Amino acid sequence: MGYWGDSLLTAFELILGFDREVRMAVWTSLYTSSCSIAIAALLGVPIGLWLGLNRFRGRQLLIALLNTLMALPTVVVGLLLFGLLSRQGPLGPLGLLFTPLAMIAGQTVLAAPIVANLVLAAVTGADQRIINTALTLGASRLQAAIQLLREIRFGVMAAVIAGFGRVIAEVGVAMMLGGNIRNSTRTMTTAIALETSKGEFAFGLALGIILLSVALIVNLFLNALQQR
Amino acid sequence: MQPVISLKDIRVTLGQNFSLSVESLVLQPHRIYALTGPNGAGKSTLLRVMALLLSPQAGTIEFAEGDSRDLARQRQRVTLVEQTPYLFEGSVTDNLSFGLKLRGINSRERSERIRATLAIVGLEGFEQRRAKELSGGEVQRVALARALVLKPELLLLDEPTANIDSNSLQAYEALLRGLPEYGVTVVFSTHDPSQSRRLGEEVLRIEYGHLVNGAPRGPQDAVFNQRRSMYGA
Repeated sequence: MGYWGDSLLTAFELILGFDREVRMAVWTSLYTSSCSIAIAALLGVPIGLWLGLNRFRGRQLLIALLNTLMALPTVVVGLLLFGLLSRQGPLGPLGLLFTPLAMIAGQTVLAAPIVANLVLAAVTGADQRIINTALTLGASRLQAAIQLLREIRFGVMAAVIAGFGRVIAEVGVAMMLGGNIRNSTRTMTTAIALETSKGEFAFGLALGIILLSVALIVNLFLNALQQR
Repeated sequence: MQPVISLKDIRVTLGQNFSLSVESLVLQPHRIYALTGPNGAGKSTLLRVMALLLSPQAGTIEFAEGDSRDLARQRQRVTLVEQTPYLFEGSVTDNLSFGLKLRGINSRERSERIRATLAIVGLEGFEQRRAKELSGGEVQRVALARALVLKPELLLLDEPTANIDSNSLQAYEALLRGLPEYGVTVVFSTHDPSQSRRLGEEVLRIEYGHLVNGAPRGPQDAVFNQRRSMYGA
């Protein structure tokens, strides 16, 4: 069948046979990405909302900073957090380096600017009458902002999903802060990198297929939201 | 009778070219006031000031039951319906429930008030209709119902009939005329001098950002007639 054919066959056998290594890598990826996107949403949604609703000196600078953070290379985030979490670093005594928590922290740093920026775009693009309408009906500023979030909920969900897409597919943070430890911090992406370098192409391919499937599902969902 | 709202020495500056000044404006309860004036004179700005959406740089605004420092609570006395109102996503009931929920009205009373208010605006049975599926005239009436259901002391309408076709105009005007019976004081802005005469118990004229406070009908009509003759009408 040839190299590709044999590898694909083995890859599907690994997937359909619920191979333990594959399962653990998928679980670690989904777990760390879900946790990090949840925290990133808690941080990013209010920041995007606040930036979108308020006009103040330095706002443009903050938006430019957010845009820059969106393009942060994952290895740079990994490097900076490594410096904080390593034994010599200020947070070293916490012993977080090479744990899922460190990966979640790094992925949160990656995802939060994306969520904030896309929520900001959704707020800016929203109907300008929403806030005033809520205020004239007796809402406080906070209640009006919550109503605005309800009205742009699909934009907010799209922002969160885009952030999730970024973190589940990244390698740099997971590798540098997680350490690619088997059954602990090995994610789909780090496992693909490792197994392929070891010559286990079929194993990498199996994880690649799953990762692509997750990305496909996320994008289909995102498209469905954007159609609304 | 205590006034619904009193404005004193109000000054609002928007950008470099527009300012609104109101020396004194006192609105009595259960009356209909027509706010007239040319485009850009400051009608919408004055309505937004009264709706507490726009803070004046100077002056005081007082409601009937004294001054409260809680802006949201003060806003609950007055409701503004914009010229092109925004309806929230969801049903007509969702829209009418919004302000009632903020006021802590329970679900049973909400349903009763919504049903009764939709009947007043001639939209019986519209409770479950989607806001997005309504016609322009229906949107206008749902927005009015959404304001009325809150039983505001002061209802502000910014050019409420500007987007209504001539068939619906009479019905809408009849509806406005009846509002003081429900204990509401109404201020509506209009370009149409004949509408201000038809509906307004008192006419407030605003020109170049200055309010001619509570101008009696005679002089206002005189100004209108003089202009009409100038344009050969």
